[in-house]
Amino acid sequence: MPALVRILAKRLATSLVVLIGVSILIFAIARIIPGDPARIALGPNATADAVAVLRDKLHLNDSIVVQYGYFVSDLFHGDLGISLYTNRPVTRDIADFLPATLELVFVSGLMMVLLGIPLGVLSARYRGTWIDHTIRLVTLLGVSAPSFVWAVILMLLLAYFVPLFPVAGRLSDGSGFQPITGFLLFDTLARGNLHAFADALWHVILPAFALALSGIGQAARLVRSNMVETYNKPYIEMAEAYGFSARRIARRYAFRPSLIPSLTIIGLDFAAMLGNAFLVESVYAWPGLSKYGVAVILRKDLNAIVGTVLIISAMFLIVNIIVDLLVSVVNPRIRLSERPA
Amino acid sequence: MSAPTLKIENLKLGFKLWSGMVEVLHGISLHIGKGERVALVGESGSGKSVTARIVLGMLQEISTARISGSLNFEGIDLDKLKPRDRHHLRGTRMSMIFQDPTSSLNPVYPIFTQFREVLARANPAIGEAEARMKAIAALADVSINEPERVLDSYAFQLSGGMNQRVMIAMALANNPSLLLADEPGTALDVTVQAQTLKLMSDLVEQHGTSVLFISHNLGVVREFADRVYVIYKGRIVEQATTKQLFSDPQHPYTRALLSAVPRITGGGIPDIAEDTAGFLDPLIAHPGASEKERLA
Repeated sequence: MPALVRILAKRLATSLVVLIGVSILIFAIARIIPGDPARIALGPNATADAVAVLRDKLHLNDSIVVQYGYFVSDLFHGDLGISLYTNRPVTRDIADFLPATLELVFVSGLMMVLLGIPLGVLSARYRGTWIDHTIRLVTLLGVSAPSFVWAVILMLLLAYFVPLFPVAGRLSDGSGFQPITGFLLFDTLARGNLHAFADALWHVILPAFALALSGIGQAARLVRSNMVETYNKPYIEMAEAYGFSARRIARRYAFRPSLIPSLTIIGLDFAAMLGNAFLVESVYAWPGLSKYGVAVILRKDLNAIVGTVLIISAMFLIVNIIVDLLVSVVNPRIRLSERPA
Repeated sequence: MSAPTLKIENLKLGFKLWSGMVEVLHGISLHIGKGERVALVGESGSGKSVTARIVLGMLQEISTARISGSLNFEGIDLDKLKPRDRHHLRGTRMSMIFQDPTSSLNPVYPIFTQFREVLARANPAIGEAEARMKAIAALADVSINEPERVLDSYAFQLSGGMNQRVMIAMALANNPSLLLADEPGTALDVTVQAQTLKLMSDLVEQHGTSVLFISHNLGVVREFADRVYVIYKGRIVEQATTKQLFSDPQHPYTRALLSAVPRITGGGIPDIAEDTAGFLDPLIAHPGASEKERLA
């Protein structure tokens, strides 16, 4: 569809501008935080000479503009520098840690969409009945506690008291599975190792659910309120006057139009999970990028901070682009306004 | 004369609230003969619109609504029909037109999709090509020049007048015997409203459709209706042929209503007497009105 291609091109262009802005911002902020990264990396016992050498190697004595120039030229060679925390290229760290976070967030997002939206629809269709009241109460619980609280509660209940799920990690000890891409759910299937797939799935469910709970609650409440509002529109009355079935009215007259405002927020919630993942990753010892990101910030590991933030921003932007495309598929107004003049 | 298309007798409607019952209609009676165009005129909140919704059976779905009286449609007692059969009348034998055409059409589907849904009410097995053909013919009937383009458009791409034509075409597509027009086109500007009403008037005459025309606009009623019922606070206060009513209004409320029409010669909107005591006087039926309704 050409309109969608045009929307995609536009969003990609603006996303690039945003990424450049983010890179400048995070580059400057990382350097403004007090503390000498070279000193922190080498420890209190290092000689002043050693610190000076490392500062020189990191170009820390140059002006911030020159430093940014070095950073950009390295970036074009696919080089984000060496992490002072792990002593490895930042790109390798990201390649190692990102898949775990993405897998967690993806499963969470799937839960949010597949549970949150139907709950909201059910609630709206049976608005004012006990079904509605129950769903609203339960989803309120989901919204009212942050994900790390749910992480701890779920771990206690379902991994400790009733050991249905594993407590931590991505695979059982001694599974000996060798990942390919780092996306275990994908890798295990690619290798045809169903046993390992079940194991990986079993490990991801609890942390993903903890991360998803507030999103499920928000999605359900949002979908409900938008749909209930849509139920008061004149075209619903018209559909009723024409005797369309309640099912058809719910699906095509109330849900579809109400999805437009809901989708944008759900997309933002999805992207926000990347940040919220940190505490859940900590609770479940999940070797992900959010956890890595916090560790490098605490150590003022300049290259790793900039690299991590850039990657997370890029993920955020990608999710936003996908949501924009979905919204324009659902909303003919946007699609049609993209027509060539 | 065969059975009237619609006959309402002693219709009462109340809503059950925490504080008790609130009665909205106090027993109204009216009838519409075959091919007759009858107007129900009154101010906002007088009970005009709820009457139409009761005929369609839409208010019955509200759990707090209490409805009594009898509704007879083409000789069938609607309350004796199975809910399923009664529901089946909607969009097939009876259809409705609303105030604001643009917001009464689904914003996320093109016109054709909705048109097809309407046609499928009468013929669930209707195919794409047949539906398209019928829709194009129906749109041509309401003087739409490019029916193909309109069918593939969304309501927000069309003008209000165009959407109104689409609504009229949809309402008459299944050849209903009763059309309920609830302040049609009130949201449009007056010239467009006049054009589309003329169109509707011609079409219902061709189809022999009976019309219950709900309005507060006396000018429009005078143009469009054969007979008029004046409703005030849930009671019919006067009924007459359009000619009789406009030349010789009897009931104090009707007189007040008629004098409330701003005239081009007079100074703006006329004052209406504060004294409304006479407004609740019993029904005045002009000669020729049915005996039953006289008693209501």
